[in-house]
Amino acid sequence: MSTPAREMGRKDGSFEREPARRVFASELRECRYQFKDGEEEKSPTFVLLPTGERCNRIFIVGTLTEKQRQGDQNIFYRGRIVDPTGTFFIMAGSYQPEAMQQLAKIETPAFVAVIGKPSLYRKDEASTPMVSVRVESINIVDKATRDLWVLDTAERTLDRIDEFAVGTGPDVVKAKEQYPTIDPVTFRKIAYDALAQIKM
Amino acid sequence: MDFSEAADRISRKFQKSGQTVDPKKIEGKLRRLIEEFGVQPSEAERSVTNELNKEFNIPAMGTGGGASGGGGGTAEKKIADAAPGEWVTIEGKIVALAAPASPAIAQGGIIADESGAIRFVAWAKANAPAMAQGSWYRIESAVVDEFKGIASLKIHSGTTIKEIDDDRALMPNTVPITGLHPGIGSIRAKVVQEWDASHERMLQSGLLGDETGTIKFVIWKEPGKESLAPGSVYNIFYALVDEYNGRLSLNLNTAMIMQEEGDIAVSGGEAAVSGAIVHVAPGSGIIKRCPVEGCNRALSRQNYCPVHEIQPKFTYDLRIKGWLDDGEKTHSVLLQRDVVESLTGISLDAAKEIAENNPLGMDEVFLQMRDKVLGRYITCHGREIDNRVLVNKCERVAFESGKHAALLNRAGGAS
Repeated sequence: MSTPAREMGRKDGSFEREPARRVFASELRECRYQFKDGEEEKSPTFVLLPTGERCNRIFIVGTLTEKQRQGDQNIFYRGRIVDPTGTFFIMAGSYQPEAMQQLAKIETPAFVAVIGKPSLYRKDEASTPMVSVRVESINIVDKATRDLWVLDTAERTLDRIDEFAVGTGPDVVKAKEQYPTIDPVTFRKIAYDALAQIKM
Repeated sequence: MDFSEAADRISRKFQKSGQTVDPKKIEGKLRRLIEEFGVQPSEAERSVTNELNKEFNIPAMGTGGGASGGGGGTAEKKIADAAPGEWVTIEGKIVALAAPASPAIAQGGIIADESGAIRFVAWAKANAPAMAQGSWYRIESAVVDEFKGIASLKIHSGTTIKEIDDDRALMPNTVPITGLHPGIGSIRAKVVQEWDASHERMLQSGLLGDETGTIKFVIWKEPGKESLAPGSVYNIFYALVDEYNGRLSLNLNTAMIMQEEGDIAVSGGEAAVSGAIVHVAPGSGIIKRCPVEGCNRALSRQNYCPVHEIQPKFTYDLRIKGWLDDGEKTHSVLLQRDVVESLTGISLDAAKEIAENNPLGMDEVFLQMRDKVLGRYITCHGREIDNRVLVNKCERVAFESGKHAALLNRAGGAS
C-alpha cells in the first residue's frame, strides 16, 4: 500500500507550510533553545517555546513603537512591537525587500500584524541569547485585529500549558529538559493579564 | 528473586481447567525469561501462561494474562467493537480477499459482520484453513492490532477458525463520506471527477462525492476490475480507507461496487476554516483570463495563455490566493471574485479602473488588496479540494465577548 500513498503525495505536493504559532512576547523572550529538524541545509530551524511547542514561524499583532534604519552597505530595519505582555524585537533586511519596504513606510506608533521567523542570537559569547523575529510580511491593522489576536494567543497559550501538564510528546519532554527553571503555569497568569487588558 | 509464587499461581489456574503442570517446570520457564532474557515479570507470567494454553489447547486468556483469571476464552465481540490490543472472538463473513503481499502471509482480506468490517491477515505460520470469499466463519482468539492507525485482525497459530453453515443476511451500513475513518468503509457516492492516471498500474483515480463531502479514490489494475463511470452513482461496500498526510482516500480494489439509479447533490466537502491571512500570493488581485470558450485560464502579463497563446481580448477577474493560518495548520485558500469584492470593498470595475489608469497598473490592485486582508482574521467557507479551499463565502471574525469571558475564566480559574 506504500506505492499508492507515495503517488498521492507527489501528485498533490505533500508540502506542508509551517504554521505561524501564536505566542506572547513574554513567552518568546524566554526561548533559549533552537534546533534544526533534519540534516539538510534547507531543513527548517525551530525555536522551542517553554510551553513545549516548536515554532518555525509566528504570527504577532501589536503596536510598532519604534523602528530604526541601520547599516550602511547592507541596510536593514529593526523595530519593537509591544503586546500586552512585553516586547518583540523584529528585523527586516535586504533578503526581505518587501517586508523592509513595508516596515520603512509605516509610521509609529501603529497596530501591525507581523508574520515572521523567530531566531536566537547573541551579541557576544558571554551574553544571554536574544530572540528576534525576521519579518516575512508586515501590515497595518486595526485595534479589533489586535484584540482578536490577544484572544487567539491566550487560547493557544492555555492549550499549550494544558498539554504541557499531561503531554509526553518529544517537544514537551525537550522543553522540560531545556527550561528546568521555567514553570509554564506562569504563562497562565500572563495570559490572564493580557486578556484583562482588553476593555469591553 | 523468588518465582515460586507466580509459578503456583499459574499452576493453580491450570488445575482449574483440569490440567496438572509441575510448578517447578513453570518456575524454570519464568526464571529463564526474566533472568536470561530480561523480560518483565508480568510479561513473563503472561508468556508462560500463553505457552501452556497453547500446549493444552485452551483459548488464550487475553492480554491481561495471569491477572484475568477464570478460564473463559477471549471476549466475543462485534467487529465494530474490536479495539487494538485485544484478543477477540468474532463471527463474520469474508467479503473480500486480497493477494498476499508477502510470503509470510497466507491470506488477507476483509471480514465483516452487521456491526462493521475489519481487515484481516492470516500468517503463513498459523497454518489456518483457507477461508472462502462469501462464507461465514467463527474466528476464536485472534488478535486485533493496529498499523498506521488502521485496525486489523491477526490470525496466528493460537487462533481457531470454524466455518459457519448458515448464510446470514449481511447489509453493510453506508456512512457519509465525512464519517469515514481509516480502515474499512462503505459509502453511496457519485463519481464527480476523473483524473489522469499517475501510475501505469493505476486503472482509475478521481473524486467521489456525497451530500457531506468528497474523497479521492483509486482502483489499481487487476483482472476483472472495471472503471467507474463519471457522473454515475454507486454503492461501494467495504473499500479500504487509507490515510496519508492526514487525508483519507479510498482504495476500491477490495470493494463490492454496484451502480445505482438516481443522483446525489454533492457537497464540495463544505469546509469552514478560520484564522489569519498570513500570506497573499503573487497572482492575486486583478487578473486577465483567456476568453476562449471553456478555457478561462489566467493569462500572463503579456496576455499569453499556456494553451491558446496571445489573447488580446481577455476578460478581467478578481481573485486572492493565499494562506489562512489558525496557528496549528495553514490552509491554502483561493477566494473567488465576489468574495474578494465583499472582503476588500474593491469591485471588479473599481479594480479595472485602477489597473488601467494607475501607473503601477495591476500591481496597485494587488497592493491595495493585500493591505486590506494581510494579517486579518477571517472565516472562509467553501469546497476543499486537494488541500486548497475554494472559498465561496467569507466573513471577518468578530470579537466575541463570551469567548473573552470564557478565556478569562480559564486562565484565572485553574491557577
